[in-house]
Amino acid sequence: MKLNKTCISAALLLLFLWPDGLLRAQSREGSAFDQSKYVPDIALILDVSGVDRDMADQKYYSLTIPGFSFPFLNQPSSSGLNAHRGMNFNYGELSLYSVVDPYFDLFAVIDLAPESAGLEEAYFTTRKLPYGLKIKAGKFLASFGRVNEQHEHYWDFANRPLIATALFGEDGLNEIGAQVTWVAPTSFYLVLGAEVLNGTNEQSFGTMGFSDPRDSVAIDAVQGPNLYIGFIRSSFDIEDASILFGISNAMGRTRNDQGYSGGRGNAVDAKTDIVGGDLTVKYSLDAIRFVSLQSEYMYRVMNGTEYTDNYFSNIVFPTSQLDKHHSGFYAQVAAKLDQLWEIGVRYDLLLQNDVSLSGADQHMPSNLPRYSAMIEYNPTEFSRIRLQFDRDESRYIQSSGGLSCQPYTQIILQANLTIGAHGAHAF
Amino acid sequence: MKLSKIIPLLLLCMQTAFTGQLQVVATYGYIGDIVQRIGKDRVEVVVLARGDYNPHIIIPKPSYIAKLRRADLLIINGGQLEIGWLPQIIKQANNGAVQPGERGFLDLSMHVHLIDVPTSVSRELGDVHPEGNPHFFMDPDNIPVIAKAITERLSELDPDNQAFYEANNKELYALWQRNMKVWEEKLKPFKGEKVIEYHKIFDYFLNRFGFTIAGTIEPLPGIPPTTKHIADIEKLIEREQVKFIFQDVYNPQDASSYLSKRLNVKLIVLPHDVGAVKEADNVFSVFDEIIRRITQ
Repeated sequence: MKLNKTCISAALLLLFLWPDGLLRAQSREGSAFDQSKYVPDIALILDVSGVDRDMADQKYYSLTIPGFSFPFLNQPSSSGLNAHRGMNFNYGELSLYSVVDPYFDLFAVIDLAPESAGLEEAYFTTRKLPYGLKIKAGKFLASFGRVNEQHEHYWDFANRPLIATALFGEDGLNEIGAQVTWVAPTSFYLVLGAEVLNGTNEQSFGTMGFSDPRDSVAIDAVQGPNLYIGFIRSSFDIEDASILFGISNAMGRTRNDQGYSGGRGNAVDAKTDIVGGDLTVKYSLDAIRFVSLQSEYMYRVMNGTEYTDNYFSNIVFPTSQLDKHHSGFYAQVAAKLDQLWEIGVRYDLLLQNDVSLSGADQHMPSNLPRYSAMIEYNPTEFSRIRLQFDRDESRYIQSSGGLSCQPYTQIILQANLTIGAHGAHAF
Repeated sequence: MKLSKIIPLLLLCMQTAFTGQLQVVATYGYIGDIVQRIGKDRVEVVVLARGDYNPHIIIPKPSYIAKLRRADLLIINGGQLEIGWLPQIIKQANNGAVQPGERGFLDLSMHVHLIDVPTSVSRELGDVHPEGNPHFFMDPDNIPVIAKAITERLSELDPDNQAFYEANNKELYALWQRNMKVWEEKLKPFKGEKVIEYHKIFDYFLNRFGFTIAGTIEPLPGIPPTTKHIADIEKLIEREQVKFIFQDVYNPQDASSYLSKRLNVKLIVLPHDVGAVKEADNVFSVFDEIIRRITQ
């Protein structure tokens, strides 16, 4: 005990009498292996909203876009953006970026929800490949068209364009795979790209095999990459207007099991081909104000076989030849009025909705519109408050009496905030 | 158009990449002008940002990607002035030669002394640049320093023309010093004058020629003026007997002209870069024009 006291006193004395220079040298040596300067750029983006809608939530979650979606794939879902009347925690997005070494960059986005977290994107890109080439690999938003590649907080509106949701779902076309791009050494911007992806997107693709309980049908899971994308983009300027346009093509197999293997439901084995065209025009009026137009058109063909079964009732349905032709577009105009205010309108239209089973037209509703308008206030580039109005006439409810259109109107008051080191956005 | 017609057309476009001249991309007009003066006909210079726009907020046009794709050298202002628009352009250009850290990437802010380096940074204080005030081009004494850094880098990338670049730099230096004497003479009577700026963009100039900076019309960097802040500035102008409001060309002038009319302070719009106003079409005439506008 006494020894202890002596020890402590001696230590304290030593601490007071310790030469200052020695202490400083020690603290420097203490950080000899400090790597804090190598911390990547870290940012957190928070998106919350208040929503009012003239439709009960339960009914809203049972809506679907008939023909476009497979049965039981309801859109919107209860986990989507702005899904609940009242307050919504849309997402917390944690992003990490850093140079790996002279040869690679690494970028990751972790999507945070109140009780879960998921990896939205994580990929590397090359920095020094010759001849204008670059390789990207990992999990990423596919370079199909314009809006698919953009992160949600970069959108001009609080929700995804209708045709993009109808073809790729609420999370877009987000896949595991690799991409190669080539930027041409031309005087104007020209980029060609190709992607090889797993193709698990359940709205348009899918790899899972299925079989019926009687084992009379057995479709194997797709082996290897299932989705191939090619795109070409170009751009030129006319005075203060920048025009960017592109064409994209996605091809893959579609394997979708909606309860068929369980003995009651149907399944699809098909080939899907999607073509998209996009156009963006941004015109600067002066150093602050601009007007931008963004529009995309998408066309999907799905050909294959639909299997239907009701094992428990012991009814065997014949397989049918499935043919789907879908198309739609959106056009949006946004104008930055001054440093703080921006306004915009958007028109969505699902055009073609042709579904036939063994040649028999299923009479799906076509020409389904949605109208949106928004006004946003940007106190700085790190915070945004947006008020959006939507009138959606594209959703239906499937009941025993057939399909019935369920239009709704909603108002979204959204706040989107960024902290930390967040990289600049592309055009 | 048939593919057989497109391919020769594409090849023709590619030819532009092999001219023998060093291809230089400069983010701002002043950099482009200095490069042109040193490189003359041995370099081909492309400037990205428009001189009359806000240098912090430039639309990252895809056409910039094409320009960077073919560049041998990218020269940036640095000090985070380009952070909001350039990084994606560099990433999308697929050009290994101009990536940060390579010899084909020159950050001028690394060669000059930056003022107002904050001891701590918080976005509560607006759009503060952690490396210090990046508008160092506004100090004319920095021009020879920048020119030297550019000369060295051009010589490194194109050693055959080293003597040519160095001779041109020497010539520029002599001419610049002669002009400095004239500018100093003209601004002598203004020493100690109190000035309000819209944004802290002319600090280097004002410090160099002995003006006193009394305040800014922006309450915080990058934040537009509020009524309360304008009222505070009004009091400040009267209390400190401020004589001038210096305004850049791209920010709204409502607040400045309101104060100017109300309090009888002189509002002067000044160029901050080559191309900001018609008269300022090179690095010399930027300063000629600033001084003409102040002294007239």
